[in-house]
Amino acid sequence: MSRKFLETESPAWVAEGIISAEQQQRLLARYPTEAVQAVGLLPLLGSILLLLSALSVVAANWQSLPTQVRLGLLLSSLVAAYAGGEYFLRRGNRRVGHGLVGLGLVLFGVSIILTSQLYQLVGYDVSGLLAWVVVGMLLSYLYESQALALLPIMIGAAVQTYCTQALGTFSYATLGLVALGSGYRWWRRPDTIVASVLATGLLWQAALWVALSHSKITWFFIPAMLVYAAGDWHPERSASRALQGPPLIAAYLFALGLALFGETDQYAGLLRPPVLAYLGALVAVFGLSVAGKRQRGRLASLPDWLLLLPGFYLPGGLPLAVATLVVLYAHAGSVLARAHRSGEAEQLTLGTVLFVVATMVAYFKLTWAFLDKSLFFLIGGVLLLGLSWYLRRRNAQRLAAGVATVAAGSATPPGSSDKTPAA
Amino acid sequence: MPTRSTPSHRMLVRLLVAAQLLYVLGVAGAGYATTAYGQHIVLATSPVDLHSLQYESFVRLRYTIAEAPLAAWRGPTPPQRRQGVYVLLSTGADSLATVAGVYDAAPPHPAAGQAVLRGWVTDVFPHTLGLRYNLERYYVPGDSPLRLGKTSPPVRVRVSIAPWGQARIESVRLLRPTASR
Repeated sequence: MSRKFLETESPAWVAEGIISAEQQQRLLARYPTEAVQAVGLLPLLGSILLLLSALSVVAANWQSLPTQVRLGLLLSSLVAAYAGGEYFLRRGNRRVGHGLVGLGLVLFGVSIILTSQLYQLVGYDVSGLLAWVVVGMLLSYLYESQALALLPIMIGAAVQTYCTQALGTFSYATLGLVALGSGYRWWRRPDTIVASVLATGLLWQAALWVALSHSKITWFFIPAMLVYAAGDWHPERSASRALQGPPLIAAYLFALGLALFGETDQYAGLLRPPVLAYLGALVAVFGLSVAGKRQRGRLASLPDWLLLLPGFYLPGGLPLAVATLVVLYAHAGSVLARAHRSGEAEQLTLGTVLFVVATMVAYFKLTWAFLDKSLFFLIGGVLLLGLSWYLRRRNAQRLAAGVATVAAGSATPPGSSDKTPAA
Repeated sequence: MPTRSTPSHRMLVRLLVAAQLLYVLGVAGAGYATTAYGQHIVLATSPVDLHSLQYESFVRLRYTIAEAPLAAWRGPTPPQRRQGVYVLLSTGADSLATVAGVYDAAPPHPAAGQAVLRGWVTDVFPHTLGLRYNLERYYVPGDSPLRLGKTSPPVRVRVSIAPWGQARIESVRLLRPTASR
């Protein structure tokens, strides 16, 4: 029950004599106004703004400053940020403290870049920027802070972008540091936001690798699904789902693209890596994922892998388009079925949206080119009707079971019947 | 894992900050020492495109030694793209460095007037090798004559190579200082 609800409704309760005015005050006092949720990000944003303003002042006069002064400015602001962070942390102000420590980390990177620029050492190699990632990683272990856990992931992505775009090399050390360092930290202290950002950062680096090495873009899904499989092994369900979100979104978008553009063999030809190597790697990752799911009792989410079926090996044209659509429908159906079993409203909405999207793709791609329009919608409609009939039947069954339980008068807690299908 | 402000935690933070200070000082020291104790060579480039200065603070330098004949390759196996190489440079009569050989391992004893520069193979053509030295990005200082130029001037780049192999651009000089008018 939200505070706002209490505030708007409680005067009426007093007026109707349900509660007394004193009880209303006690209730309101029981639920104090909540702090703004997004406040965790504020120190991060604040430190970035501060940094930008300081940078613009110094940058305007940077070239005219003597070398020693420049170095001194950089190093003293670095020390000041860390000292300030420790000071605020000791006084118990965690947000400002962590913000200042984050600022110190950003200043370290700026110092490396500007010092290299001062001596025209830029572009020599990546070791300077790698040191930045290492320090960020160590700080994320030293402090219990979400913002400081996010920083090294973002710094790693930025460093990798610079490496691939400016230096033309891929820094495996950066990827390894983020995957193992930030990954282990997330494993020990699971957090949904860190999980999503970590997965996105790793996928970004994987995409950069694919772009740089001119590999077939389907190779991207080997590292992406490795991230997914890591989520399968994590004991905490919400953190695991958050880590699996970005790889699944990428796989879904890819399947959607295949359904939309796959009928031209030219596009499909761009996606076909050597069969044995690709399928071998994919099956290995799949095995890892299945083992994790079995270990944690989450085999229900196995149909996620439908999106990874390598349909692009089929000849382009009708077979490919139809096969991809079937996969999209099957996936949407599996999400719907799982949502029904777990009784989660959001999953149900997601499944419905996926279903509608698959139908729209079918409409735009197939109906007026290949298949008889009415036939396809007949199939779609029958599928939807059948599903709704099944869901309704399940609901009725569950209701009946609930009534039976109540009638039996057993002492089972009310939530227990909801949880049984997840086992 | 230490998360509270225990003495050991504070000690670790201090060590980490000190390491960062030392690292930045090390970068500066390496840059200084490269000039002070390094070997100096002069490289020629093709005319510099100054258009990038309108929206960036660096220009891209294209060295004449970025292309070497395949005959200069000294290695047991054919060169590969992205392979790290050692380029032996010898100073010509006009004091400009030219490629004397491209090695896949450090060449044994460079003679007087020769220098070794680290490089990477970017392309392998039928008769030539494309090379990259990571000296291609030059951050143009505010007082550089390049900032005043409108056309694409020919330049001479003075590079110093540290005894431990690190190289950096020392200065970039216009061949004809009249380009700005």
